[in-house]
Amino acid sequence: MPVDLDNSSTASGEASVSSSGNQNPPPKSTAKKKRNLPGMPDPDAEVIALSPKTLLATNRFVCEICNKGFQRDQNLQLHRRGHNLPWKLRQRSSKEVKKRVYVCPEPSCVHHDPSRALGDLTGIKKHFCRKHGEKKWKCDKCSKKYAVQSDWKAHSKICGTREYKCDCGTLFSRRDSFITHRAFCDALAEESARAQTQPSSQNQNQAAANPSSESDPKTQAMESSSPPAPPPAPASVSAPPPAAVQVSASTTSVISSSVLPMQSGELQENPTPILEEDPPPPPPPAPAGLNGSCSSSNSSSSNGSSSSTVFASLFASSTASASLQPPQPPAFTDVIRAMGRPERPADLAPSTSTEPISLCLSTNHGSSIFGTAGQERRQYAPAPQPAMSATALLQKAAQMGAAASNASLLRGFGIVSSSSSSAQQDNLPWGQRQVEPDNASVPAGLGLGLPIDGSSGLKELMMGTPVFGPKQTTLDFLGLGMAAGGSPNGGLSALITSIGGGLDVAAAAASFGGGDYTGKDIGRNS
Amino acid sequence: MFQEESSSVTSSPLQVFSMMSLSPNLGSPYPWLRELKSEERGLYLIHLLLTCANHVATGSLENANIALEQISQLASPDGDTMQRMAAYFTEALADRILKAWPGLHKALNSTRISLVSEEILVRKLFFEMFPFLKVAFVLTNQAIIEAMEGEKMVHIIDLNAAEPAQWIALIQALSARPEGPPHLRITGINQQKEVLDQLAHRLTEEAEKLDIPFQFNPIVSKLENLDIEKLRVKTGEALAISSVLQLHTLLAADDELLRKKSPLASKNLNGIQLQRALQMNQSTLGELLEKDMVNGYSPSPDSTSSSPLSSSASAKVDSFLNALWGLSPKLMVVTEQDSNHNGSTLMERLLESLYSYAALFDCLESTVSRASLERLKVEKMLFGEEIKNIIACEGAERKERHEKLDKWIQRLDLASFGNVPLSYYGMLQARRLLQGYNCDGYKMKEENGCIVICWQDRPLFSVSAWRCRK
Repeated sequence: MPVDLDNSSTASGEASVSSSGNQNPPPKSTAKKKRNLPGMPDPDAEVIALSPKTLLATNRFVCEICNKGFQRDQNLQLHRRGHNLPWKLRQRSSKEVKKRVYVCPEPSCVHHDPSRALGDLTGIKKHFCRKHGEKKWKCDKCSKKYAVQSDWKAHSKICGTREYKCDCGTLFSRRDSFITHRAFCDALAEESARAQTQPSSQNQNQAAANPSSESDPKTQAMESSSPPAPPPAPASVSAPPPAAVQVSASTTSVISSSVLPMQSGELQENPTPILEEDPPPPPPPAPAGLNGSCSSSNSSSSNGSSSSTVFASLFASSTASASLQPPQPPAFTDVIRAMGRPERPADLAPSTSTEPISLCLSTNHGSSIFGTAGQERRQYAPAPQPAMSATALLQKAAQMGAAASNASLLRGFGIVSSSSSSAQQDNLPWGQRQVEPDNASVPAGLGLGLPIDGSSGLKELMMGTPVFGPKQTTLDFLGLGMAAGGSPNGGLSALITSIGGGLDVAAAAASFGGGDYTGKDIGRNS
Repeated sequence: MFQEESSSVTSSPLQVFSMMSLSPNLGSPYPWLRELKSEERGLYLIHLLLTCANHVATGSLENANIALEQISQLASPDGDTMQRMAAYFTEALADRILKAWPGLHKALNSTRISLVSEEILVRKLFFEMFPFLKVAFVLTNQAIIEAMEGEKMVHIIDLNAAEPAQWIALIQALSARPEGPPHLRITGINQQKEVLDQLAHRLTEEAEKLDIPFQFNPIVSKLENLDIEKLRVKTGEALAISSVLQLHTLLAADDELLRKKSPLASKNLNGIQLQRALQMNQSTLGELLEKDMVNGYSPSPDSTSSSPLSSSASAKVDSFLNALWGLSPKLMVVTEQDSNHNGSTLMERLLESLYSYAALFDCLESTVSRASLERLKVEKMLFGEEIKNIIACEGAERKERHEKLDKWIQRLDLASFGNVPLSYYGMLQARRLLQGYNCDGYKMKEENGCIVICWQDRPLFSVSAWRCRK
């Protein structure tokens, strides 16, 4: 567009004039104003560059006599009448007013260039406010902010008025985003049909508040997730956010980029598909609660949603498996939320703050790993564990080792580590459950101790081991009567001592003198 | 021999076994072992582990070898908890034995490839599969938020910046505070640049979204070589330091030097053992074993009290703490393992770590399926490596020197830090987090204003907060 230098110079010339702020607006012409094509200002239009101050000045029309400012030219004219001006000066200049175009005073703006000047003063004012101004006007229904009052008014008229509601319960104020969502919603609905029941009621309100953000990112995200997220998920809260994480696993980068700007709605949807993938039984309400809280917090603040999404993608990328039934820790979410947003106490269980979402997501995610295992866990949680836990085994070994030991050992009987007194308290009963005193059979211990000798052969070692047996009488070999007392590790030490005792004996050949075990072992092993 | 009574299950295999003449080279010499039930197998494994460790400690390699052989028949990285643990413990013991032949050891480890991505993955898995880090983060963040109330410039130093979740949560919390977010600077220290780059990206992204003035300063450095100047702490900013499972690595010191200097070392050497060791043909082996026995037999100073030996060993950590103190942090939150894995003798460490890692492996057993590859990775690449370090390494190489909370309290107190009890609110959140895990094995208790996270009754991690005490 050829707005050449002449215009620029004109503009600059004009600028100095116009910055004073006193400008006669073009007369209202009865003829229809010729409108240039958008983006293409009139090449011989006068380019006006106003300073920001001038641009935003509310009283643009200033009386030259008394310098009083008016917002409207008509008002100024009315006022001028009162000055009793001589007739000559009363007239407006009849000079044909040149077409004027305006440039944005902000140097970094694309409209700063005269070739991109805007034709309307009001237009440039609004542009300047919108792009380079502070958003002073806030919608009271939602959180949108505006720099131009007319934008704000326009928005509040429609905010909350027209709502499209999808079957899944998500609300939209824009028709296009609603339609896009609905297209995918059906697919998700199938998934959710398979999914477990969703209890969450808490989510409903939150889900309702789901503003539809860019549908494209959503679509993108949807597409990227292998199974489309069932819309009911957010409402139903069945899918813990980590689920989303799972789904995104395959398309982390896509999701993170696309999901980020999205509101919580999207987030919720993402997780759901993952959840749906899992055949496992419905997650306990806890996850629902968590989900709800996550979604609620998400919907309540864009920040939250984006952060959760971020985490979702983060966690998604790291996990391989998509299994999920994380026994969600809703409480955690709450807590974390509460931590982050104390000003929203309303969301009780669902909690308010979003920040913890990251942590809660991680939790979920973690538990999602448990998902598959979770079922197992659930399966055998009620039933007695098939395998003894390692801790229990150690305790038992310690007990066995201490079984034949004397009272002093038992006192130091720490089935758990030495310094945890509290733990010790709990374990004392073990130790005190003294074994039959007749177990102080040194020979048995020696039976074991003997083979463990550098110089003796394999067979002795072998022979020692068969003595191993669950019954206490058999296990005397573990407790060599003379167990080193006072060892903080109690039974296990005794166990070791007994083993160590064998070593000592080696030098002395296989003599069954249990009493020979002296402080050597004790010194060595404690 | 006492073989009466034995339970019906074990009697027959044992009897059969006892009549077998076995040589160490038999392919499958212990068929009866397979018939052991899980509990008995577990107990047997414990017994074997202890036996083997004893042999290693005393230098009787032949017996250690036999024990290892037996264990290998029973242990397996994808069996039950005890089998998995035994697998990693025996690997550590074998590694320890192999260190007696440094050339052999180096040759076997020379082609090992350690992928940064795998390490990062394993760390992430640890973060997600267990609540420990999350609880630590929640408590740390809450303490920071409370300490930084009213502060306009906040600078946080993370001694091992790897997990973005913690700081993202903090950024979100700070952006929501009533007086508006502060100007936030986070300095992250890590040995791997990739980790820091990723972290920087995530955090800056998050801060931009929330419109918080934010700056991330990465420092690629080992903690022990950290140059305090690089942290660029400015006057006028409120400083908070977060140390998650890092300080214990600074306890690594050249024990050998210290022990040789100490008069205690020579006194309690068991004459018989020494003699036996010296009888070994390989002189190098003998020396090394002597060293080992020095490790094994010098009276370990009672691990709960600080002795002159340990104080010189911890000079590195003391000077580090002093340097941190010199920065006048408003708050320092320390998360550490709460177990004593820093005993001077192998047996001590083995016993303690058996209990601790039993608890950790039990956590996984109770919450993750046995077939999970992630679980395997965590067990092998995280716990397995830690166990190997605790058992097989000595001196400056042994970095995993976990100690009990009371020792840390002592140490920090000595460095002029005053304990700040963790807030009730923080504890409440942490508790709820744990409850949310839906696994009632995780427990949390308060101890002197610090929080200790336990599995069943075994304390595993502790979180404590400190301020600069002038």
